[in-house]
Amino acid sequence: MNAPVAPSRMSPVAPGNANSGNALELRGITKMFGALAAISDVTLSVKPGERRAVLGSNGAGKTTLFNCITGDFLPTAGLVRFFGEDVTVFPPHERIRRGLRRTYQISSLFTGLSVIDNVYLACCGVSRKRFSLARPRPDDALTYAAKMLVEAVHLTGEKDRLVGELAYGQQRQLEIALALSGAPRFILFDEPAAGLSPTERTDLIHILTSLPSHIGYIIIEHDMDVALRVVESVTMMHNGRIFKEGRPEEIEDDPEVQELYLGGGHE
Amino acid sequence: MDKFIKRYPLWSLIIIVLVAAFLWLVLGPWPPELVASWGRKQIFLNALLGGITLGALYFLVAAGFTLIFGLMRVVNLAHGSLYLIGGYLGYEIATLSGSWLLAFPIVFIVVALIGLLMQHFIFSKMEGEELRQTLVSIGLSIVLADLMLWWWGGQSYSILAPQFLQGPIELPLVSNINASTGAVTWLRYPAVRIWILVAAIVMGIAMWLVLNRTALGMMIRAGVDDREMLSASGVRIQLLFLAVFGFGAGLAGIAGIIGATFQSLSPGEDIRFLLSSLVVVIVGGMGSIVGAALGALIIGVAEQMGFVYAPTYSIVFTFLIMAAVLAFRPQGLLGARR
Amino acid sequence: MSVTDHAPRFVSRADPRMWSARIPAAWWIAGVVLLFLPVVANSFWLFQVMGWTFILGMIGLSLMFLAGYGGMVSLLQMTIAGLAGYMVAILGTSGALNVSLGLSWWIVLPAAFLIAALFATICGALAVRTDGIYTIMITLAIAAAFFYFTRQNYSIFNGYSGFNLVLPPQLFGVNWREPVPFYYLTLACAALCYGAVVYIARSPFGLALQGVRDNPRRMAALGFNVTAHRVAAYALASVFASTGGILLVWQNAQIAPGTVGISSAIDVLVVAVVGGMRRPLGPFIGAFIYVILQVFSTDILGFFGFSADRFKLIIGIGFLAVVLFSPDGVLALWDRWRASVAARRAAAGGGA
Repeated sequence: MNAPVAPSRMSPVAPGNANSGNALELRGITKMFGALAAISDVTLSVKPGERRAVLGSNGAGKTTLFNCITGDFLPTAGLVRFFGEDVTVFPPHERIRRGLRRTYQISSLFTGLSVIDNVYLACCGVSRKRFSLARPRPDDALTYAAKMLVEAVHLTGEKDRLVGELAYGQQRQLEIALALSGAPRFILFDEPAAGLSPTERTDLIHILTSLPSHIGYIIIEHDMDVALRVVESVTMMHNGRIFKEGRPEEIEDDPEVQELYLGGGHE
Repeated sequence: MDKFIKRYPLWSLIIIVLVAAFLWLVLGPWPPELVASWGRKQIFLNALLGGITLGALYFLVAAGFTLIFGLMRVVNLAHGSLYLIGGYLGYEIATLSGSWLLAFPIVFIVVALIGLLMQHFIFSKMEGEELRQTLVSIGLSIVLADLMLWWWGGQSYSILAPQFLQGPIELPLVSNINASTGAVTWLRYPAVRIWILVAAIVMGIAMWLVLNRTALGMMIRAGVDDREMLSASGVRIQLLFLAVFGFGAGLAGIAGIIGATFQSLSPGEDIRFLLSSLVVVIVGGMGSIVGAALGALIIGVAEQMGFVYAPTYSIVFTFLIMAAVLAFRPQGLLGARR
Repeated sequence: MSVTDHAPRFVSRADPRMWSARIPAAWWIAGVVLLFLPVVANSFWLFQVMGWTFILGMIGLSLMFLAGYGGMVSLLQMTIAGLAGYMVAILGTSGALNVSLGLSWWIVLPAAFLIAALFATICGALAVRTDGIYTIMITLAIAAAFFYFTRQNYSIFNGYSGFNLVLPPQLFGVNWREPVPFYYLTLACAALCYGAVVYIARSPFGLALQGVRDNPRRMAALGFNVTAHRVAAYALASVFASTGGILLVWQNAQIAPGTVGISSAIDVLVVAVVGGMRRPLGPFIGAFIYVILQVFSTDILGFFGFSADRFKLIIGIGFLAVVLFSPDGVLALWDRWRASVAARRAAAGGGA
C-alpha cells in the first residue's frame, strides 16, 4: 500500500548555484560540546529520492548529525544545504516547511491528545491553516489527509484513542505517520525499529520500501538487517567521523566494518 | 577578554571610549559648559554613588534569590518577605538591645531558620513542580505580608545607624574647583553608605571565593549545572539545598537591616525588593553571583540617575534595560545559554 | 503533579447530535437562572457581586487561556485590562479635562482594544523566548513597571489620582451603568468570551497552542513557529482581558494606579488557580468565591474575632490551601466528588 502524499505545494527552492541537484548536502559539519567533538568534518550528499543508512556504534555521532540537519543544534562549523538552499542557520520550523521531516528515537508525541489529533496537528503544521481560529468542517481537506495517513500506518482502529494509551509499537507507527504528513521531500528516521517485535519490523520494512520514490530518506539504525534492506547506500560513522561509504552489499562484506562494528558487541 | 576584543573590534572600541568618558566625568573637574547643561557635578556624583550603594543593597537581596533559583530551580517569590521580616526583627533587636551590630547575627540565624523551614516542609515536598512551588511562594508572601502588617502596622520604621558610622566621609573625588581661588572641594558622602558598599563588596567576593575555590562551592556549581548528576554522585543533595536556602534567606534578612538603616521599612518594601531582585536577576543572569552584582549595579545606578535627572521616567529606564536584555540576550548578560 | 496537568484536550470524537443537544442539562438550568436573576436579586447583587464576578472572571479567563492551554502563566493580564480601561478614560471623556481627549465611543473602544493588543504582543514577545518559569518573573516585573509608571506620570495617566467620571456611552438610549442593564452587559460579554475560548480550544490554533504547551520541540519539528504561536496567544488573550478592563472602568466610573497594582495582578492569579485552570469555567467560579469572600469579609472575619482588615490573610490562606491540597482548583474537587459518586453508584448497581 502506498502512503498517500499530496503533490508538492511548497515554496520554490531558492536559486542555488551549481549544486548538482542534491536533496541534502553537508559540508564539513563539526559540532563541539565544550572540548568534546561529537562530530568532526562530516561531508556527505544525498540525491533526491535516494535511500541511505547511517550506521555506527553508540556515540558515533549519528543522532548529533541528525540534530544538525534538522536545526535542533547549530553546527560549530560547516554548511547544510537542503535542495540547493543554504539552511545552516535556519530554525527547525523553516526546514520543516521546506519538506524535511524527522522521527525520534524516543517517541515524541502528544500523549494527551488522540491519534487523529496528533496527525491532524502534523498536517496543520506545514499548511497555511495553522493560525486558523475556525474549527474544521467535516469535509475539511486537512482532516481528510489526517484520516488517510492514519490508515496508511494501519492505525485506523485506534484513531480516537489517547496516544498515552497506545502500545509501544503503535506509537512508533504514529511517529512515522507524523513524518509523512504534509508533502515531505526528505525524511530522517532515527532508529525506527528500536523495540519492535519481528512482525512489527516486517511491517516497518514494508512501509519504508513502499514510500513514493521521490521521497528520499536517511535512516539511523542499529538493526543491520532492517537497515540494509531498505536502503541503496550506506555511510558508516565512527567517533564522530565518516569512516566508510558504499553500497549495502559492500559494507556488509567489508572486513574493517565487521571488525569495528560487528565484532564490537553488535547484538 | 582578548578573544572578545578580537571578535567584536567595533564594540570594544565603543566600550573603551565610553569607559574613558565616564572616568573623566567622575574624576576630572567639570568645565562650566557641562555644569550649565547637566547641573552641578556634586549632584551627578551623589546620584552615581547613591546608585552604586543602592545596587549594593539590591545585590545582597538578589544574590540569595539567584542562588536558590540557580541550584534548586525554586522561584521563591516570598524572598521579599524575608527581607522585610529581617528588617523588622533587626529594628526590634536594635531598639531592645541598643546594639546595631548585634542585630546582624541574630537576624541572620532567625531568617535562615525560616528559610530552612520553608525549604524542608514545603518546597522539598514539591520537587520538580516549579509552577506549584512558585504559587506556594506567592501564597506565603501574601500571608506573611498581612501578618507583618498586623503586627507592625502601616507606618515606616527606621534603624538609627550607630555612632561610629554616622556622619560624612570625604572621598577622593573632585566635587568642585573654585574658579577664582583654585581651591578643590572634595566630595563628602554619608559614611554609612560607603561602609555598606564595602561590606557588600566583601560579601560578594567572599561568596565568589566560596563558590569557585572550595569543595562546597564546586558542589553547588555542579548542582546548578546538573542536579541529577550531583545527587547520583553521592552528595547529600537535600542537605545542600537546605544550606543554600538558609544562607540565601539569611542574606535577605541581613539586607533588611541594612535597608532599614539607610532607607526605611514599611509594608510594600517586600514587593519592591522582590521586584528589584527579579529585574536584577533577569538582567544579570540566573544562577550567577557575578551576574547579580553586575545586574544590581546597572539597575541601581539607572534607578538613581533616573530619579535625579528624569523623575517621571526613571521607571521606564529600568524597564527599557530589562526589555533590551530580554530582547537581545534572554538568558541575561552573564547567564548560561539554555 | 503540575497545576496544568491533565489540561483541556482537543477531542474530535464525532458527536452526531446538534450542538444544542450536546450541552448538559445543568448548563441550561444555570443559563435560565442567570437570565432571570434580575427578577429576584437586588441591585447590589446584580451590580456589585455578579457584575464584578463576570469582570474578574473574564480577566481570569484570559490568564486561564494562556496558562491552561498555552502553559504560560502570565501575571500581566490585569495590567492589560487596566491599560484598556485607562485608554477608555484617556481617549474618551472623564473628569480629568486636561488629559482626556473626549473622542467618541466608536473610536475609543476599538482603539483601546488595539492598544492593549499591541502592548500584549510586545510583552509576549519579550516573555516567551525563555523557559516557562521565567514568564511569571518577567510578566510580574513588567506589571510592576507599568504600575509605577502610571503613578508617576501625569501627562498621560494623571498620576495618583487617575481618572474619574468615566461612564459608558448611552447607546440605544440605555444608561448602561444602571444595575440591570450593566448586569446583562457583563453577562453577555462573559458568555461571549467563555464561548469564544471553548470554540477556539478546538480550532487549529487552539490545538496548536496545546501542542506547544505539551511538546514545543515536536511542534517545531512539525513546522510550527513556536514563538509566533505563543505571542499570538498573548494577543488573543488580551481581547478577553481588555473586555474585562473596559467594563471595570465603567463599573467603578474611575480608574487609578491601584487598579493595576501588584496586589491586583496577583488577585487574578488567585482567582484562576482557586477556580481551576483546567477549564474555562474555573476563573468564573474562582471570581465568584473571591467576590463573595470580599463582600462578606467583615462578617466572616468578625465571626472569628478578627478585624475586617485581615481580608488578605484569608485570601492568602485559602490560596495556599488550594495550591497545597487541590492544585487544580475547586473545579477539580467538584470533578473528584462527581467521579466518586458515579463510582459508588456503579458499584452499588453492578454489584447485584
